Amino acid sequence: MKRTVDVNIPLGPIHPCFKEPARLKCEAKGERIVGAEVELGYMKKGIERIMKGRPWQEVMFLAERVCGICSVIHNMVFIEAMEQISGISVPPRAAYLRVIVNELDRMQSHLLANFSYCYTIEHETLGMYLLDLREQVMDQLERLTGARVTCAYIIPGGVRCDIPRNDAELLQASLDRIERDLRRYSGMFAEGPMIALRSRGVGILTQEAAQRAHVVGPTARASGITADCRLNHPTYRQLGFVPVSRTDCDNFARVMVRFDEVFQSIGLIRKCLQDLPAGVIRGGGVCKAGETRYSGEAPRGELTYFIKSDEFGRIVDIQIQTPSIMNIEACCHEMIIGADSIADVTSTFVSADPCIACTER
Amino acid sequence: MTTYLYEKDLVPQKYRILVAYRHDILVRQIATELDIPVQELRRYLIEHFDMILLENLPARVEMADAHADQDDPVALVLGREKYTLYLQIMSGAAMESIFHAVSDRVRAGTAMEDAIAYGRERIREELRR
Repeated sequence: MKRTVDVNIPLGPIHPCFKEPARLKCEAKGERIVGAEVELGYMKKGIERIMKGRPWQEVMFLAERVCGICSVIHNMVFIEAMEQISGISVPPRAAYLRVIVNELDRMQSHLLANFSYCYTIEHETLGMYLLDLREQVMDQLERLTGARVTCAYIIPGGVRCDIPRNDAELLQASLDRIERDLRRYSGMFAEGPMIALRSRGVGILTQEAAQRAHVVGPTARASGITADCRLNHPTYRQLGFVPVSRTDCDNFARVMVRFDEVFQSIGLIRKCLQDLPAGVIRGGGVCKAGETRYSGEAPRGELTYFIKSDEFGRIVDIQIQTPSIMNIEACCHEMIIGADSIADVTSTFVSADPCIACTER
Repeated sequence: MTTYLYEKDLVPQKYRILVAYRHDILVRQIATELDIPVQELRRYLIEHFDMILLENLPARVEMADAHADQDDPVALVLGREKYTLYLQIMSGAAMESIFHAVSDRVRAGTAMEDAIAYGRERIREELRR
């Protein structure tokens, strides 16, 4: 007679579907997942400890090294936190340029996340198309800032360099091309019957569970929560930003929210280029003593810096709350519990766009 | 969870998470609320929680403070949803039994402070079991 036994399945730390090392210890009854635990510590950087006691000029470069995928937002949130402490204002042109760079960073991060998901569900063709688009976004980021990652573009009171007219025209043309191609690729994802089999109704995260775990970003917005830090940002308010959300609560919704947000980012960049104010890009200012909590919307959700600085602008104390902490926790304790197949564990985990580098910081 | 062969000892890493700036404030706050030593609460959390849940504790507490037990004063003081749904330091069934016992005492005329103190004592017993 066939007997159902409890099986423990450790996934990782090295796994073909994971971009970074993490260990998931799943407990299954047959194929059904009944429990999961996460083990971290395979890439701990201790970056908060390294930051303490250093001047902001050094911490600025350390902040963007927390994560190689969303380095711009770490740069932006740290600098805007220091600006808040010190009462430094930003020229309008620089504020718009910050939004352009931040949205380009969000686009490349979302395209990479959706590539990872397609790769995990064995739809490599679509994944490669998305990676090709991501390269075009990375090229624009490099043209604007001088680097693909760790750009150090945002500085207190402004940005490092302006956008020449020629570069703005090239960015416009590139956005047109990306939008045209992405419309086709997102359509392929939305209408693919095999993709739907692996994605619709899988990895359900209810709105209540998402709220309890403080889930943020596209993962929360795919569960019907419309929270987005950009709603509180003055420049995004000027641009009339409205967050996108879905209520399907499954893997499919999370990927589609990211596609929708890429289109939204294209729209925001176009609007910034169209309304780009004239004027200086650096207003200057001195970083002072103070303590603050400042949040910004990273590609994965709310990124919060708790900073305490002294009168010389040195960082006395700092703690970084990255969005992946909340999203991975909810993923492992809510989304994958009750999954009908072991194969759904990896796809559900990847659908939450987990960033272990951010989590371990 | 079943223990694995050659398993890594995670206690030092979990301890480092709990003594970080925000986590330390939070753990001390919960220990004061429940009137148990900080060391005992830390040991309980290390034994029962995995690393990612420990990392996410401050965010969960923020959400509990904003949304949990808004409609019942006894539940709010006792932490009915906070300690079960949000922080998950005890089971829902155990908390329900404690909550009903406390509510019954309040209805029977016991002073609110005394009833809550009784509830807290039951929670401590549950954590030490």
